[in-house]
Amino acid sequence: MSDVYILGAGIHPFGRFDKSYEAIGSEAAGDALRDAGVAWPDIQAAYLSRMYLPATSGARILRRLGGTDIPIVDIEAACASGGAALRQAVLAIRSGEIELALVCGVEKMPRGFMDPSMIYAPWQIELGMSMNPAYWSMRAMRHMHEFGTTELQIAKVAYKNHKNSVHNPNAMYRKEFSIEQILASPLVCDPIRLLEICAPNDGAAAVVVASEKKMRQLGARGIRIAAVSHTIARYSADFRCPADSMSATAANPGPTEVTAHQAFERAGLGPQDVDCFEVQDTDAFCEVEIYEELGLCPLGEAGRLIDEGATEIGGRYPVNMSGGLISKGEPVGASHLGQVVELVSQLRGQSGPRQVEGARVGLAHVLGAGGNCAVTILQA
Amino acid sequence: MANDSGRRPIREGLLTGPLDDLSQVHLCGSRCAACGETSLGTSDICPNCGGTEVTPKALSDLGSLWTYTVVRHKPPGAYHGPDPFQPFALGLVELADGLRVMAPVEADIDSLAIGMPLHIRPYVLRTDEAGREVVAFTYRPA
Repeated sequence: MSDVYILGAGIHPFGRFDKSYEAIGSEAAGDALRDAGVAWPDIQAAYLSRMYLPATSGARILRRLGGTDIPIVDIEAACASGGAALRQAVLAIRSGEIELALVCGVEKMPRGFMDPSMIYAPWQIELGMSMNPAYWSMRAMRHMHEFGTTELQIAKVAYKNHKNSVHNPNAMYRKEFSIEQILASPLVCDPIRLLEICAPNDGAAAVVVASEKKMRQLGARGIRIAAVSHTIARYSADFRCPADSMSATAANPGPTEVTAHQAFERAGLGPQDVDCFEVQDTDAFCEVEIYEELGLCPLGEAGRLIDEGATEIGGRYPVNMSGGLISKGEPVGASHLGQVVELVSQLRGQSGPRQVEGARVGLAHVLGAGGNCAVTILQA
Repeated sequence: MANDSGRRPIREGLLTGPLDDLSQVHLCGSRCAACGETSLGTSDICPNCGGTEVTPKALSDLGSLWTYTVVRHKPPGAYHGPDPFQPFALGLVELADGLRVMAPVEADIDSLAIGMPLHIRPYVLRTDEAGREVVAFTYRPA
């Protein structure tokens, strides 16, 4: 199978801006093109990931770069939208039909909790089941009950991510908080607290991807996409499928486990080969559970991994060097490509104070509504 | 399923029994003949395997709390609850029928514990635009 490479990456900071989504998106796309040394008219197809924007957002955004008659497609797969879009570009290039594509993720979201009617049935909303963090929190309570994971261990994840964000100019919050401050912040849904949770916001990220042949023609040095996988959860396999009921007997594996397994197999790599990770930290517990599902430690031992500091920059498995979604915010359509942009910077050794020394392999992971999960593995 | 009493369930197919006698009302599930999985509410299709040989079944009134959270902020959208907002418990309640049901739990939030026995309580949530009483359900300590 022919290889596909990232030639350039661009990001519009994540935050809240008095600016149209078209402007936010086209700036990130323009930056990715400049970084790749490629002109917009050379792009043969474009994929735009978003969840909360109107129809044909891709065309509305990318038209700002200049007139074009290439296919521009909007792609939606909840929090995994960016992975789904990147996958389409990779498949199109592998098919041989095109050599050069642009993938852009954009979102502009209202403040506060996300609009529940896009995800939940009216009766669930009426009975108060429409608060996203509640599902993650119930999962956390069960993990604490089964494995003795503590609120302190969960808070340590938030502490780490806030601490990393200080060095990321593209994050919305760039402030370090003490463990005490985190544990003193108000509960949102027990046991998850305000400083342990991500906020929906605005942002964009983009990459230019090319076939190996095109990369050589351009004399460019790209980052290889070793794998990009996207799956949805089977019945009862994930709390993020807005559940009115779940099975007490069916043992379907979780979407992170399934998607990561597929990506590792395609890449011919395992978790021990990965130098740096960017993962879905919708809340701090979400990241805890992902350690286990990615295979960084056995089931039930994520708490110990945190206590050992293994997931800090400088640890065995650095996770969320960017500050994670807890610090950056979660512009849903842009979040995965934002992770990919961070990994490109890490694998190029351009991440400054948050650089993982000698990083050669990076993994990005997102997980959200409907049990949509995407995993991308990049190799320098 | 509007009946003589002019009551209706909050979601069609969620409850079984005479809505005018709430002590005789139970949750309704669907059991799949192909995979044996039971899910909440009546349905034409099994959410686990896609099987279409699915039959309605009255579910057990008793359950135990498998996990829970306390919702500390007013949920977004048309939440129907006390004004001003009161924090409430939301749980997954495990039934002997082999499923876990997402539901509000009516208990002192400091007394919540995984494994605690619970009993269903159908109740009138509100009156709709057509003047019918809307029946919902919650769980309380057994």
